[in-house]
Amino acid sequence: MAAASAFAITPHKVSVCVLLQMYALPTQATPPFSSVSQHNRLGLYILSLTKSYDDILEPKLEDLISQLREIGGSLGPWLIDHLTSRVSSLSSPDDLFTFFSEMRGILGGSDSVVIEDNQVILDPNSILGMFLRRCVLAFNVLSFEGVCHLLTNIGIYCKEVLSNCMPYELHRLDGSSNDLESLSECENMDLENFVFGKVNEEIEERKEATERVSFHLHATQAICGLVEDVEVVTDPRSKHHDKGTEDCPHVHRPGTESQDVDPYGEVFLRTNWQVQGYLTEQADAIEKHGGSVSFNTFELILRQIKKLAPELHRVHYLHYLNSLYHDDYFAAVENLHCYFDYSAGIEGFDFVPPSGSNNSARYEIALLCLGMMHFYFGHPKQALLVLTEAVRISQVQSNDSCLAYTLAAICNLSSEIGSSITAGILGTSYSPVTSMGSSVSVAQQLFVLLKESLKRAESLKLKRLVASNHLAMAKFDLMHVQRPLLSFGPKASMRLKTCPVNVCKELRLCSHLISEFASETSTVATDGAFSTAWLKNLTKPMGSLVLTQENESGENFHALQFCAQSSSIPRSVLQILGSSYLLRASAWETYGSAPLARINALVYATCFTDSSSSSDTALVHAKLIQHLAAFQGYKEAFSALKVAEERFLSVSRSVLLVLKLQLLHERALHRAHLKLAQQVCDELGVLASSVMGVDMELKREASLRHARTLLAAKQFSEAAAVAHSLFCMCYKFNMQVENATILLLLAEIHKKSGNAVLGLPYALASLSFCQSFNLDLLKASATLTLAELWLSLGSNHAKRALTLIHGALPMILGHGGLELRARARIAESKCYLSDPSYSDFLCGFIFSLVFEDSEVVLDPLRQASDELQVLEYHELAAEGFYLMAIIFDKLGKLEEREEAAASFKKHVMALENPQDEDPLLNLL
Amino acid sequence: MLTVAQERQRYWQQSSWLESSKTLRSSLLQTPDSSGEAQAFAEDSTNDVTSTPPAGVSYVSTPVMEEDEVVDGDFYLLAKSYFDCREYRRAAHVLQDQTGKKATFLRCYALYLAGEKRKEEEMIELEGPLGKSDAVNREVASLERELSILRKNGIIDPFGLYLYGLVLIEKGNQNLARTVLMESVNSYPWNWSAWSELQSLCTTIEILNSLTLSNHWMKEFFLASAYQELRMHNESLTKYEHLQNTFSFSNYIRAQIAKAQYCLREFEQVEVIFEELLRNDPYRVEDVDMYSNVLYAKECFSALSYLAHRVFMTDKYRPESCCIIGNYYSLKGQHEKSVLYFRRALKLNKNYLSAWTLMGHEYVEMKNTPAAIDAYRRAVDINPRDYRAWYGLGQAYEMMGMPFYALHYFKKSVFLQSNDSRLWIAMAQCYETDQLHMLEEAIKCYRRAASCNDREAIALHQLAKLHAELGRSEEAALYYKKDLERMEAEEREGPNMVEALLFLAQHCREQKRFEEAEVYCTRLLDYTGPEKETAKSMLRGMRTAESSFPLMDIEHFHP
Repeated sequence: MAAASAFAITPHKVSVCVLLQMYALPTQATPPFSSVSQHNRLGLYILSLTKSYDDILEPKLEDLISQLREIGGSLGPWLIDHLTSRVSSLSSPDDLFTFFSEMRGILGGSDSVVIEDNQVILDPNSILGMFLRRCVLAFNVLSFEGVCHLLTNIGIYCKEVLSNCMPYELHRLDGSSNDLESLSECENMDLENFVFGKVNEEIEERKEATERVSFHLHATQAICGLVEDVEVVTDPRSKHHDKGTEDCPHVHRPGTESQDVDPYGEVFLRTNWQVQGYLTEQADAIEKHGGSVSFNTFELILRQIKKLAPELHRVHYLHYLNSLYHDDYFAAVENLHCYFDYSAGIEGFDFVPPSGSNNSARYEIALLCLGMMHFYFGHPKQALLVLTEAVRISQVQSNDSCLAYTLAAICNLSSEIGSSITAGILGTSYSPVTSMGSSVSVAQQLFVLLKESLKRAESLKLKRLVASNHLAMAKFDLMHVQRPLLSFGPKASMRLKTCPVNVCKELRLCSHLISEFASETSTVATDGAFSTAWLKNLTKPMGSLVLTQENESGENFHALQFCAQSSSIPRSVLQILGSSYLLRASAWETYGSAPLARINALVYATCFTDSSSSSDTALVHAKLIQHLAAFQGYKEAFSALKVAEERFLSVSRSVLLVLKLQLLHERALHRAHLKLAQQVCDELGVLASSVMGVDMELKREASLRHARTLLAAKQFSEAAAVAHSLFCMCYKFNMQVENATILLLLAEIHKKSGNAVLGLPYALASLSFCQSFNLDLLKASATLTLAELWLSLGSNHAKRALTLIHGALPMILGHGGLELRARARIAESKCYLSDPSYSDFLCGFIFSLVFEDSEVVLDPLRQASDELQVLEYHELAAEGFYLMAIIFDKLGKLEEREEAAASFKKHVMALENPQDEDPLLNLL
Repeated sequence: MLTVAQERQRYWQQSSWLESSKTLRSSLLQTPDSSGEAQAFAEDSTNDVTSTPPAGVSYVSTPVMEEDEVVDGDFYLLAKSYFDCREYRRAAHVLQDQTGKKATFLRCYALYLAGEKRKEEEMIELEGPLGKSDAVNREVASLERELSILRKNGIIDPFGLYLYGLVLIEKGNQNLARTVLMESVNSYPWNWSAWSELQSLCTTIEILNSLTLSNHWMKEFFLASAYQELRMHNESLTKYEHLQNTFSFSNYIRAQIAKAQYCLREFEQVEVIFEELLRNDPYRVEDVDMYSNVLYAKECFSALSYLAHRVFMTDKYRPESCCIIGNYYSLKGQHEKSVLYFRRALKLNKNYLSAWTLMGHEYVEMKNTPAAIDAYRRAVDINPRDYRAWYGLGQAYEMMGMPFYALHYFKKSVFLQSNDSRLWIAMAQCYETDQLHMLEEAIKCYRRAASCNDREAIALHQLAKLHAELGRSEEAALYYKKDLERMEAEEREGPNMVEALLFLAQHCREQKRFEEAEVYCTRLLDYTGPEKETAKSMLRGMRTAESSFPLMDIEHFHP
């Protein structure tokens, strides 16, 4: 009974059977199919009907009719007519019996059936054949009551189409559905307000989310479909509605209300397979779009599924996901526990083959999920406790793949948050994998864990996990300084270094995934997606279909193939690949190759945005905008930021918010708008506070910027103090790479305060850090700072400074941003000017000097001042113009001198009276 | 799924089968106890309207219902007969053109019950692949319309209002339902069904307090029952005891007192009450499952088997009887059979809470944790305030070695029943496990357990042990002493006693309080085992130390 009852026969399935009959026995039809493609098209349509999972409920007859009209072309009316007459002719149980015995005749394989001329023999083992067989079987096991119910339902199913005006009863909504309805209305009202005034894209995205309440949409579409057949007074707005240009897809129309939910209209869940597919799809969507999927809308659908199928526990998991991504901690915990209590971790999909033979409970998966949840909510301690438990239980249950995943999760956890929680947790005696002593640092434990996890994943052939482990490894290599694992204590050699080669290697290994995934695709999953895409495509070119009746089928086949291809690579694989590009971009950023970083980010943004989560996409955009700001000034960056913000509205604001604050701060510093800078800095500090779990990166960023603000305000000792404490913090948490920046900042502070001698050791230390960590761009800028320090020690060091600058110039000019380049150029010309050999040129009024010589100094200055003007970096620009004016003065070019002097004056004025009006700020 | 309405229907049928000659109104007058005795009591009190109210029970004058039978007498009687034969639609049809209030009510009620009956049937017919699909009572919509019009026009009697309330509940319109039911009980207080519907709408004490109910002794019954449902057992108990002064022979009140006592875990009292109850009312099945739980807890094999036999003979297809038999087998250690009977109970009533929980317990005994978890979870979903099921869930997960995961459930159960020491102890043990080893938290839990009347005195002992383990000997000594005192007071002996004495002896010796130490050591000598030897050697050591004390001092000053 259980197997049979998993597939209940419903009026919709009866309709599909009728269609199948038309497909298989075309001779019975008076107007036969005009072309093979038309015939095939019907077949494809039926296939899609049985496979697609775009909705949870079976479509009503109206929907079927309107879809048939689209696919049938010239045959459409006939198909519809035949279908409705056939279905509505079923009026007694006996009709049903004859109908299903006829159905059996379509199936090939049995010799007794006389094969007619044109008959398509339906292979009993084909998808359609199986469907038919299941229908027949489901009918055969029905009790008499069941048959009666089926008949009543078929009656209702047809009546809704055939009756012009509904009796009063049908308009009544039953209470619970009424509740649902009003709830969703409220939701939509909110949504409307929210969407109001936002860009189109956002609306589209919303609509995509809300379109899933298709029992609303179906109604209106169906009504429109009816217009031709039956004289139904429809609201003119609903036609407009179909064009998809309205701003709210849920405008409640009185004319269509009766169809939304009516107490007698039976709603049937689709087959288990389809509902599961739908849920998977939704889970993907939630994970991808995060908080942008409307919470209540989806919750309503879930509630409906739960009502229709109380034993489908997967719904709880979707509840969990939904509340997780809407940051509802309590609901998330509750639903997660609920799901695993019911399903014991084994209720999955029909089409996922059970990995491992034992069918026992798998509560370790529950632990894994719970751990990830705690991680998501920023409770590292709980997360670690739970994951430790997961490791133990997986070992006890010998669930190796779960163990591998758990290890990967622990790695992830400790690499993300690990450095901010003191080593105490991992190091305690009940540490998960090996009994590592507490003396080992978090980073080293992480390294061991990563290795272990990778090994496990490889031996278990979990390809995705291997790839993501490689990624984690690359990340680790990127951010952590290698030290020999086994030598400790003061006497051990403290050679610190990073290995770009390793990073590269890991990234490459990760990319192997794409060639390996082919063996593990589940064909069934793509099958459903394909059908769904096909059906969705069906509704798109509605207008053109009617006009060009013969060609349309061909066209659609192209679309179809495209769909099939686009879904042929699993999303998870694409996601991992995408993140490898993301990591590449940040690796190059760290190592200091701006073009490569940019290219990788662009690759990601163009190829992987469809498959990746919106937070990752936002991150890439942030990177690109940062790049834009550094190379083309703030104006461009701000306008790009605005676009990005609109696109990622509410998705992952934090990344973009931080970026915005960074840019504002940078700009305020350049414009010497200290008040604003301080304000922005404070805001960053708020973001970095530990309400949502400590993000070390953000914390570091905030205090770094704090120090820089202080520096700009000429509060040197305070700035130095902040920088010092920051250094200590980074040292404590082993963030050596970050320390190079801080050392450089310290050098900068001393330079500005006039203590060049004190600055030198810092600059040198930073230089050596950069060298051993392969931070080339940072190294160049450290060299520059060093040169500036030397220069400020006196003119007799100018030569040394110049050599340093010349050494760094290729790197700076190739990869540095506007500011760095300008600084280098000004420093270079200052070197020239203060060089004793040039001082003749300055003091001795030697007019005979060749023109090129003055150009050597003037050219960089000109370029620098151009770039600085783009950046609105008043202080440095003023310096550049000042130098230019002096040189012109000496050269006797009075006109140019005046010009430079005027520019100088302008920048100095701007520096001294920072204006509050900022056109760019209004842009945001 | 047997809904409230269903149960109501059952009661209805029972009473109508029992006394079909009685008029509709009198049979409507059910108390929650459908047995004849309670009926008699109800009737007594209604017939007695003019007599003086019993002392201490506030009351309003009884509205006299006007009789309109003269008009529709024959039709009405025919319909009533059909109704009593459970031919609801037929009854409704007969009354189609009747306009009297009573006739209208009977017609509507018959339609409602017809809808309910069909709903039940459909539920079974339509069982989908993934559980039962949601069948609805199809009469509700039209009934609602009719009743709302009647109410608007003011031609509705309290029974009609009651029915309207039922319909509104079905439609999910709880606020209006509450108002309507309130109107109903205020104008005719003896309709217990209306009260119990009203009670089902009072999910919090705030809602309960916001009701405006006119004073009547039925209100006291209602409040007592509502308090019980809201887990305010002491308040409910006082109410019932107060009511018992007036209705001193009511079995219903006695059973309710037993229920409250059971929730307060006063098993002795419950047993006494039930023994008496069953003497007066030997064929009672209602609430007897609670008695069986008590007998189970007290491990009274023969009494439980006798009870099981008796209810089996009375009515074997009652969820209560199945539960009692399940309990019996469980006590016998035949868990498979016990599960079978719990399953049967659940088949009879899918929302029978205690059967789910008890089945969970059985599965735990059978080491089938996934099944146990499933059963407990269902109990929790039926009533999220069932702390036993939460506790069971926690226990099941702890059994599987997932203490941290289990903590979530223990926290839930402790939240719901914060004065139950067993829950606190379970949670503490969870913290104490090797995997978590969060001793500080465990100590906190044990402290709570110790403060709420820990009968088995586990908490004190554990507190002492944990403190000793953490090296806080002062605290440890304090708790050992407390534990010792308690054991002395309860005259218990055992290894805990020895352990406490030994620790205290050692502690006192370290603190140089030799006299105390000596007392403990001498007490230890009464016991056998290695501790006795330790105590002996300690005593010897202390004596020599005492005698050599001055000597040592001298030695100390020597060089």
